[in-house]
Amino acid sequence: MVSLVWSFLSNEMASIDSLQFYSLCNLQSSSIGRVKLRIPSSFVVFRRRPENLNWVRVETHRRFVCKAIGDDSSTPDEEIQNTQNDDDVATSQSNIPRRGSEDSISRFRSMITNIARDSESSIWRFRSMVTTLPPVIFVMKKCSGNSLWIGICIAATVLVAAIRAYVIRKSRDNRTTGSVADLVRRGQLRSGDRRGISKSLNYEDPFNNPFVKVGKGSSTVEMCGKVYRLAPVTLTEKEQTIHQKRRSRAYQWKRPTVFLKEGDSIPSDVDPDTVRWIPANHPFATTVSDIDQDLAQTNVYQKQGVPFRIRAEHEAMQKKLEALQNEEKLNNLGIDTQNARDFQRPYKFSAKLDDDSIQKNSPENQTGNSSTSEEEETRKS
Amino acid sequence: MASLRLFSTNHQSPLLQSSLFSKPLVASPRFVKNPSRRSPIRSVLQFNRKPELAGETPRIVVITSGKGGVGKTTTTANVGLSLARYGFSVVAIDADLGLRNLDLLLGLENRVNYTVVEVLNGDCRLDQALVRDKRWSNFELLCISKPRSKLPMGFGGKALEWLVDALKTRPEGSPDFIIIDCPAGIDAGFITAITPANEAVLVTTPDITALRDADRVTGLLECDGIRDIKMIVNRVRTDMIKGEDMMSVLDVQEMLGLSLLGVIPEDSEVIRSTNRGFPLVLNKPPTLAGLAFEQAAWRLVEQDSMKAVMVEEEPKKRGFFSFFGG
Repeated sequence: MVSLVWSFLSNEMASIDSLQFYSLCNLQSSSIGRVKLRIPSSFVVFRRRPENLNWVRVETHRRFVCKAIGDDSSTPDEEIQNTQNDDDVATSQSNIPRRGSEDSISRFRSMITNIARDSESSIWRFRSMVTTLPPVIFVMKKCSGNSLWIGICIAATVLVAAIRAYVIRKSRDNRTTGSVADLVRRGQLRSGDRRGISKSLNYEDPFNNPFVKVGKGSSTVEMCGKVYRLAPVTLTEKEQTIHQKRRSRAYQWKRPTVFLKEGDSIPSDVDPDTVRWIPANHPFATTVSDIDQDLAQTNVYQKQGVPFRIRAEHEAMQKKLEALQNEEKLNNLGIDTQNARDFQRPYKFSAKLDDDSIQKNSPENQTGNSSTSEEEETRKS
Repeated sequence: MASLRLFSTNHQSPLLQSSLFSKPLVASPRFVKNPSRRSPIRSVLQFNRKPELAGETPRIVVITSGKGGVGKTTTTANVGLSLARYGFSVVAIDADLGLRNLDLLLGLENRVNYTVVEVLNGDCRLDQALVRDKRWSNFELLCISKPRSKLPMGFGGKALEWLVDALKTRPEGSPDFIIIDCPAGIDAGFITAITPANEAVLVTTPDITALRDADRVTGLLECDGIRDIKMIVNRVRTDMIKGEDMMSVLDVQEMLGLSLLGVIPEDSEVIRSTNRGFPLVLNKPPTLAGLAFEQAAWRLVEQDSMKAVMVEEEPKKRGFFSFFGG
């Protein structure tokens, strides 16, 4: 009698479940090596043998053997021999020998024996039920396809987060570069004469600004997305008065009314405390006073018409021209007109005019012209 | 920085507006009790109405500091343009003789042909020296002098007074605000700039050098008879205040004893806007510093001061997906 074991291994976990058929069969080998197998249903053993699962030690050593003994040919010795390496053996036998000449004692014994066998079979049923349930890890392993997708999703999420953080950091870095050339390139700095006269940025409603919000209880304020805590001002009017008195004691100051350049002498009618000494290189320290104070005030108050100096220069120029026309110099100008065909002549003439205008625009000349015009006016009057 | 006032976004009667205006910042009961019915808070510190101009016009405000580099010119440009955006006519005078920069900040440097010196000399009229901003036509710039020209001694203070008088009587009407950008120091330029002023805005930063100069300048202003002095604390960093590396605004106020007109946080956009010749308050989206300047201008119009200041930034609540940058 040969015992043949058929093992059915699962695809990737080869040692998880193995179904073994211990059968009493005849094995006939042919010339070509084929094996014929006859499996009588007399003795079939289901054995679960997870051999490679060393990491679940609790369940790995459990094996059960289910034996179905259909005929009387098999002896108890063989059974013992077949199952002596197994942990648990459940044997069901339908025929129990009876020896009819026993009395109630033997009946009692048989009853005890039946009870023991029933209990043993129930325990075996329970254990087999437990061991046939697949552990959780096996269920998870069976969902290997789903776990692959979960892993892909997690990896994609981490990748997206990393790319987003990189982009934010990159944009932040770009923002900090603030050279003038960079500002011009990005259009934030308008080069040349376009500065300041461009169109405004359309933030034109100061009465409706959604960027400022006061929080609950008025203890916080949100401005431009940032929340700030507010603290009340504690300065009282009494404290303000104390500070004013302190300053009035500390700083005895009288406004200077007279400005003198360093080195000048103090006029007799001037209080020395009201004199402000100005360094020679100070913007105020010019002694050239073209116009007197009254004239300056008049100029400031002038609302319409030609400004005083322009008008004075114009009048002075006209008078000068009239005087020139009446004098002999006018004849000299006539000589110049005879040579008008010369190409150089217009250029020289215009250059001469430019020189005149430059001289008239210079401060000393303005002073001189204005003074002469004033003199002329006084003569006329 | 925040004003202690709550302005509803709905149009209200002037009476209700004034009553709201005079109250400290307490959430309106209507808003609290009916949160579902309330309109979204769109303009708590800004403002669904035109600010009410207080005091006599023209308001002549000098913006000074004592120390240089604390933000006088930036404040002048931004507050001036904010006032113009609020609908008031503004003339900003750059009284810094040697180192004028206001025209650069406003982007008007190529349009300054005449200055006060030319006006005094009679080369041009005053209206020709005023440079009108094309973005906001009720804002005008007037420079005292060109960089290399010199103003005659003794003319400074008087000249500014003449200018103010002339502006009051000009045909198109008196401006609502004349803002004078004062030069640094307490020299002749300072004396000239403060001459016509009725009120002063002291700009300072929360460091001891600026505070000492600010205290001295405040003393000089008070000696000169200018009593209405408010301060703007510029370049405030709440993170440094939290780490006790910078004086808080309340500390500054305790040291100087001046009422607060505004608190301007440190903002890199200031440099950017300066380079662009485009004041912060015109930026879109608005920046923190620009909003603070707007609020300061609002308080300046209504002669108000701050009742609460921002002390620190609250930690941001991190969401569930904050790990992923959300």
